[in-house]
Amino acid sequence: MTEQTSRPHYERYHIETDKAPDIVRWPNRFNVKVGKVGLATHLVKEVIHQKGDLELILARPCIYGVFSRPVGGFAPDQKKCVGCLRCMNEYPEFVEVSRNPARERLGDSYFVSTYVDAVAYEAESGRVPVKGAGYRGKFGGADWDGIWTDMSEIVRPTRDGIHGREFISTVVDIGTKPGFLSFDGEGRPVGPLPNTFTIPLPMIFDAPAEQVATDTLYRTLARAAGAIESLAILPLGVILRLGLSGEHLAPLVGPGEVDRLDALGFAPRLVEVDGWDAELFDVVRARFPQAQVALRLPFGGEAELLQCADCGVSVFHLTTDYHGRGAGGAFIFDLIRDAHTAFVEAGRRDEVTLLGSGGVIAAEHVPKAIAAGLDAVALDTPLLVALQARFSGDFTSRHTNGVSLPNRLTAEWGAARLSNLMAAWRDQLLEVLGAMGLREVRRLRGEMGRVLLQKDLEYEAFAEIEGYLSEGV
Amino acid sequence: MAENKPINPRVIEKHTSALHAGFRTWASLEQGTPPALGDARWTDHLILSTWHMADTGEAPTNGLEYRTGRSEGGFDRLAFKVRPEAKWTPDSTPIRLSLPLNRRGSGREIEIDIPVYGGGMSYGSISEQVMLSRAMAAREWNTFTCTGEGGYPPALVPYRDHVITQIATGLFGVREETIRYAPILEFKYAQGAKPGLGGHLLGDKATTSVAEMRESVPWVSLFSPFPFHSVYSVEDHRKHVDWARTVNPEALVSVKVSTPHDVDMVAVGSYYAGANIIHLDGSYGGTGAAPEIAKKNIAMPIEFAIPRVHRYLESEGIRDEIVLMASGGIRTAYDVAKAVALGADGCVLGTSELVALGCTRCANCERGRGCTYGLTTTDPELSLLVDPAWGAQRIGNFYQALKTQLEGILRRLGLTSIQALRGRTDLLVYTRNGIG
Repeated sequence: MTEQTSRPHYERYHIETDKAPDIVRWPNRFNVKVGKVGLATHLVKEVIHQKGDLELILARPCIYGVFSRPVGGFAPDQKKCVGCLRCMNEYPEFVEVSRNPARERLGDSYFVSTYVDAVAYEAESGRVPVKGAGYRGKFGGADWDGIWTDMSEIVRPTRDGIHGREFISTVVDIGTKPGFLSFDGEGRPVGPLPNTFTIPLPMIFDAPAEQVATDTLYRTLARAAGAIESLAILPLGVILRLGLSGEHLAPLVGPGEVDRLDALGFAPRLVEVDGWDAELFDVVRARFPQAQVALRLPFGGEAELLQCADCGVSVFHLTTDYHGRGAGGAFIFDLIRDAHTAFVEAGRRDEVTLLGSGGVIAAEHVPKAIAAGLDAVALDTPLLVALQARFSGDFTSRHTNGVSLPNRLTAEWGAARLSNLMAAWRDQLLEVLGAMGLREVRRLRGEMGRVLLQKDLEYEAFAEIEGYLSEGV
Repeated sequence: MAENKPINPRVIEKHTSALHAGFRTWASLEQGTPPALGDARWTDHLILSTWHMADTGEAPTNGLEYRTGRSEGGFDRLAFKVRPEAKWTPDSTPIRLSLPLNRRGSGREIEIDIPVYGGGMSYGSISEQVMLSRAMAAREWNTFTCTGEGGYPPALVPYRDHVITQIATGLFGVREETIRYAPILEFKYAQGAKPGLGGHLLGDKATTSVAEMRESVPWVSLFSPFPFHSVYSVEDHRKHVDWARTVNPEALVSVKVSTPHDVDMVAVGSYYAGANIIHLDGSYGGTGAAPEIAKKNIAMPIEFAIPRVHRYLESEGIRDEIVLMASGGIRTAYDVAKAVALGADGCVLGTSELVALGCTRCANCERGRGCTYGLTTTDPELSLLVDPAWGAQRIGNFYQALKTQLEGILRRLGLTSIQALRGRTDLLVYTRNGIG
């Protein structure tokens, strides 16, 4: 072996991105209406006032090309409008720019159009959305909106990490680590040892909603997961039927599928069992001794989690509905905290991995969910929106109807969109970690000291102000 | 490239005339309100009323809500407990809005006539014409504007007694002479809109003139790193301040920070490093370009940071030795007064000055040629849409309206100075709509 080949090979993790334009034209962001009579009258006046100077007469207010067609304002190119309103300010008498209600109806009551816009941009470009002006939304609010992440003002270890000169790790471990190691008299470890595998980013793909799941969608998820070296949870039957294989696939096994396990032609890193069935769980563990076996359960019931851990479960995939709601309407952020805290208080947090799904629809939700206690997030609806899915009504669970994907969806295009989305989300995770001064995402897990909760800050700032205790809390 | 395009002054004149008339028309509500204008923080009414104030120097009386937005939190939930009319400060008693910026007991004495000054906006993020507009207004109103981190255009030198030189992490355009110009030096550690992320100027806006001013390469995106490479600790920060004071011993020093959890301790550290002013920039502040994730999600809004820092400085017994300025979402005179009641001495304005010049908050500042109104751009043609004299008048009129409203608020609270309002949370009330 030469010296060159014996050197350990190091490759910095990077997600390749490439522009993946929309395959379905979504509604314009703005409607531009120009009164034709008003415009014609204006042009006549201009001809007289400007004495036929064509440069002046034809000088149009838009620099984005909305009026760049030969007939100018008589047929505005609405898709180019960015909503600057300069045309409306110059010609208030006959130009009107309004937000397009059809655009604002994209998504559903939880995945509102602003999130759809962000995901669409990220999936198309692979880039972090960067805009001018300040924040434009509500002050705070419920759920994710009432949470800010912290930053470090002066002293921090990451020093320019987000700009590439220092490495911030997004690697996470899936599996179990004992709280401590034991050694015999000769220094050999005895007892349980760490048993994990790693993925390079704390985001995996959850099994898609059954109603929308086509073979093309399954192939898309599998292909994208392979490209970004993550995981796609897919039903065992689908993996077998489509002949998919690879360590980026995590078979989801349900009751009654024991007989099909042997047909799997590869050694998965993760197998997920849908619901607690001790017998099924043991069979899967025995069939795939090299794999981590995850248990998929709804959030809630911390005592049950601890009992399952006693039975040997070391990876939990906890779920809410697609709007982040668990039993009794509790929000996923609070549910994650409960689950994480239960294991911390039992002194067993490192022995288990917590994956979570539901309600994570924007890049900023990922670090917040991890700070609440997750190791990694299993994504659902944002993947569909990245593929230009349309919702009709509220889309709340894997078993809900009311979502459709473009007919022209191909696995190649879809995988490119999902890779772009993950690249953009990972870059934003790096921004948040860099601002905090954290070198690796694993250190963020359960770090509630790194988040600022509106209810706490508001109480501290306003409690002595008259009316706050009666109106604000 | 756009810089080589011949410019027809008559085309500029045509557009500016139409725009000025349009600002007036919309603010009059004759045509209703533009349906796509505004958002929860800067509502259509707030934008239109700012245009009205910039045009007339007075608050609108046509029904525009010029006091609060609809963000459903922070300033928009706070109102003042107006006293009975008999206890109002009489019109015959003058109201003092002036603010001393050095409370250290030594060094240069600087006092501004109104409790606000202009925040840093760099050459590149805005045009030279806008910088000049701000500087001319600052001189007229005996207050300040700030260079931001993009250099010190020579056209600004005549106004240097009213220009703060910003020293930020990329040190773009920072030279000894620009440090010597300044009555106040501002160390920018972080910016509220992108805390912990440094500065961004996307390549499209790094024109040859911008690059020359910043001593960089044209059309290449510029990132100011975060944080200062020379500052790893509060001790380093002290040395940093000492370095600037060595170059300009007469200057006051302001330290601009964003609003992390431990902002109170950062403020105290800045005080012991010798700062005269601690400038808190809350997370909802403006920017020429920032990742969207940062604007909402990193660090706390200014409404929460002010009382935290104010109380901590009080508990340390140093509150009266340092000036606390607040920015990051200050839109109106009412916001200024609420910030002061929460514990600030004064406020730093940015977006509201741009809105006075016609900004619609469309959030396209970062792209291509930049702002279609000639504000956040260095495009040679677009930037001519703002004549500095017109711009200075608009900002000055806005200041006049601000002054009048602040005086009115203080009178109705029975106070005679803005300084008497500082930390008076007992004069605030938490409401559903922030109007009182």
